[in-house]
Amino acid sequence: MMLSTTLLRLSVPAKPANRARLRRFMEGITLWLAFLLLLFVQPLYAEANVADELQPGLLHFTDNRGDWQEPALVLDSDFDVTVSGLIADTRLTRRFRNTSDHWREGVFVFPLPDKASVYALTMTVGERTITGEVRPKAQAREEYAEARGSGRQAATVEQQRPNLFTSRVANIPPGEDISIELRYQQPVDYRDGQFSLRLPTTLTPRYMPGPMLPTGEAAGWSEGWAIATREVPDADAISPFTVRPEDVAADSHRASISVSLNAGLELADVTSPGHELETRTDGQEVHVSPSEGTVLMNRDFVLRWRPVHGSEPVAAVFHEQFDGEDYLMTMVVPGAASDLTLPRDLVFVIDTSGSMAGESIRQARQALGRGLDTLSAEDRFNVIQFNSQPHALFMAPVPADGMNLARAHRYVSRLQAEGGTEMASALSLALGGAGSDDTDDAARVRQVVFITDGAVGNEAGLFRQIREQLGNQRLFTVGIGSAPNMHFMREAARWGRGTYTAVSNPADLGGPLAALFSAMEAPVLTGLRTQWPVADAEAFPERPGDLLRGEPLIQVVRGVPPEGTLSVTGMAPDGKRWKRTLDLRQSAGGTGLHRRWARAKIDSLLDRARIQGEQPDEEQIVRLAMAHSLMSPFTSFLAVDSKPVRSGNDPLLADSVPTLLPAGTSAGMLRYPQTATISPLLIALGLVGMMFSAAIVLLRGRVGL
Amino acid sequence: MNRILLLLLSSSATLLVFGLWIPLKAVVAQELLALAWAESQARQTETRPWPWADTWPVARMALPELDRSMIVLEGTHGESLAFGPGRLVGGLPGEGPVIIAGHRDTHFRQLDELAPGSGIRLQGQDGQWQDYQVEASRVVDSRREQIDTQRLSPDTLLLVTCYPFESLDTGGPLRYVVTARRRNPAPGNRLEQIDTVAGL
Repeated sequence: MMLSTTLLRLSVPAKPANRARLRRFMEGITLWLAFLLLLFVQPLYAEANVADELQPGLLHFTDNRGDWQEPALVLDSDFDVTVSGLIADTRLTRRFRNTSDHWREGVFVFPLPDKASVYALTMTVGERTITGEVRPKAQAREEYAEARGSGRQAATVEQQRPNLFTSRVANIPPGEDISIELRYQQPVDYRDGQFSLRLPTTLTPRYMPGPMLPTGEAAGWSEGWAIATREVPDADAISPFTVRPEDVAADSHRASISVSLNAGLELADVTSPGHELETRTDGQEVHVSPSEGTVLMNRDFVLRWRPVHGSEPVAAVFHEQFDGEDYLMTMVVPGAASDLTLPRDLVFVIDTSGSMAGESIRQARQALGRGLDTLSAEDRFNVIQFNSQPHALFMAPVPADGMNLARAHRYVSRLQAEGGTEMASALSLALGGAGSDDTDDAARVRQVVFITDGAVGNEAGLFRQIREQLGNQRLFTVGIGSAPNMHFMREAARWGRGTYTAVSNPADLGGPLAALFSAMEAPVLTGLRTQWPVADAEAFPERPGDLLRGEPLIQVVRGVPPEGTLSVTGMAPDGKRWKRTLDLRQSAGGTGLHRRWARAKIDSLLDRARIQGEQPDEEQIVRLAMAHSLMSPFTSFLAVDSKPVRSGNDPLLADSVPTLLPAGTSAGMLRYPQTATISPLLIALGLVGMMFSAAIVLLRGRVGL
Repeated sequence: MNRILLLLLSSSATLLVFGLWIPLKAVVAQELLALAWAESQARQTETRPWPWADTWPVARMALPELDRSMIVLEGTHGESLAFGPGRLVGGLPGEGPVIIAGHRDTHFRQLDELAPGSGIRLQGQDGQWQDYQVEASRVVDSRREQIDTQRLSPDTLLLVTCYPFESLDTGGPLRYVVTARRRNPAPGNRLEQIDTVAGL
């Protein structure tokens, strides 16, 4: 550097003889610089070749040899929801757009509401519509594979978990679309005079406990990053790639949502904790959609509506006829039974696993803080955190005095999220403390509050454990994050004889948690029974069990005509009998009751098998699902076109469409670090600049002569 | 005109110097680190190579096939990677999986020359050498794949660097990952593997 600047200064006053020498010298230098640059620019060419294949804004994949693969499929979703009474019916249209030059198979793992009954599938290719049918799972797979191989367009949807599904679409032509329309219904939640509906759009990556199975055992039907483990043999099928919204095409993974509320009641307000809403009232109907138009599919869409004060329903009957059978659905809200409260032992369990990192752990800490604030002086409490291992703050529950509470608050504020989600050991620690035979314990109500995102793959094993270890305790679940596993929340609470709550964002903490903690403090209506006018009526849930304050009792029944009365009896906490009757002739018309009944019946068959520790009666479930045209663990939907469109010579490439990382979570797993320096760039720039200026000096020399 | 020329020339020369400074720093730092490594082995403590350093040597890595040896630092933040490859995850070699990341333009420039079967040796603070053997190397898309540390078997060693090797783009999504697995130590020659280290 010094050399060339001095040369530059010298060049002005130098004599002609010197000048010629200088010019030769400069020419030499420039030649060398040019040579160096050539050496350096060669990699630039190499990189340009790679970059030529890129189109900005599309997700690219590499295969295991590092070669570039074609751009991914682009995905659109459209939720069209109609709510009537206690059932929400959704028409979910997913459009896969193939932006590449090759034929594609699209694979997408997606969540649906945890009590969803999927009952129809249609595939639209261009102008043509093919209606799907329900098939036994294995048969659907076979027929799909055959259609895929023979070049016919086909779509299939199968259930992996009650709230997790996989859809496959074969032979999407280059540059074209295939739409898959799924129809499902889900029950609307009604609690404390408020209705709510949740449309999941993505899922939190699940933790897969247990030792790994040797790879290759689950052959060919898996797309995920997780490896099957002994406790979660289908881990690879339920873990799609999760990517950040900026990693997919700008118009991909967007959903348009429109909800028609036909509540049959005058509504006081319609709100959503995570999205801004636009509402339009049209007579009895209220139309709701997010005001931003299409929403990014990285958080669940939650809708809540409340009837005007004083008109909250306390009982309802709906009736439907299907296939010559009568179906009834009833709802009874018991209301406050008495004000008796008992001293409690409260154990808070908080999930501090890696999947909770980011916004979730902050919410969880706040939720736990609020829980601690509800304790009264007679109560005792403990705090357990768990990730790869559980850790309890106190050896045993301690009185909720100022000092202990202060210590707990301090402990909670310092919790960090990292590690695995070994829920089983935490449950044992939380539920296992009930064994002491202290006389004081007998009068106490033991409650466990479980704060988690439920991102585990071994749900079934955990439910079994809850059932076995529960004793006289109650388990309440609080779902945290943008996309909690609601199936886990609901079922864990059901097996734990408690309730579940989901918190969507920090601003939303107050309402749902306040309702949960006040329900926990309030006494419980136990031993509920229903008496239907027909003796052999099949009603679900079979034994309603207990009700906390604000919870309604909902039962669906087959084979009961809408006449006579239903009587509901139970036991109030002070030992008094509680009774309510309902006139079935008051029933209103409803739709989809038979599907709800069939889904409940399938669930009860699966439950029974789980309790007895045996394989569920697959044949009976398939028969039931086929009769009601329902998706189940053993039946899938399949739509196959009749004539082939792809010739055998064109290759078909499979593409797993990733799901979005839920908003506010940080990736639980390690991201690859940034491992390049700017040194090559600086050197190249420096060399180019040097050569350029040397060339100018040279030119000036020539012109100056 | 002369001024502009002078400005252009000096600024590009500065760029060049900064560009060359990075690999130079990488080479010089390794010499200083070697001293700190010897000291930390002798004293069995974490020794910072210079008083204001925010990292310290945690292992020595040798690539016998490439005739290279380098000191591995703790952490993979930009500052530590400038001086040596950084340990992303892992305790002592031999206790659980180890992940080491390095810059593709400095220490891990020759990573693509490691073929399956090549040896990698890793020496922990206790002076014990662990022998690893390269199993495979592949290119991953960091937007699409992450390292699931819970799923790595405890005898794995991962070397990570950016890909493609000659690229000028520092923020590219691709990574080159070399997977190696520990060889079972031959019981006989354990003693030979311990290097004698002189304290400072």
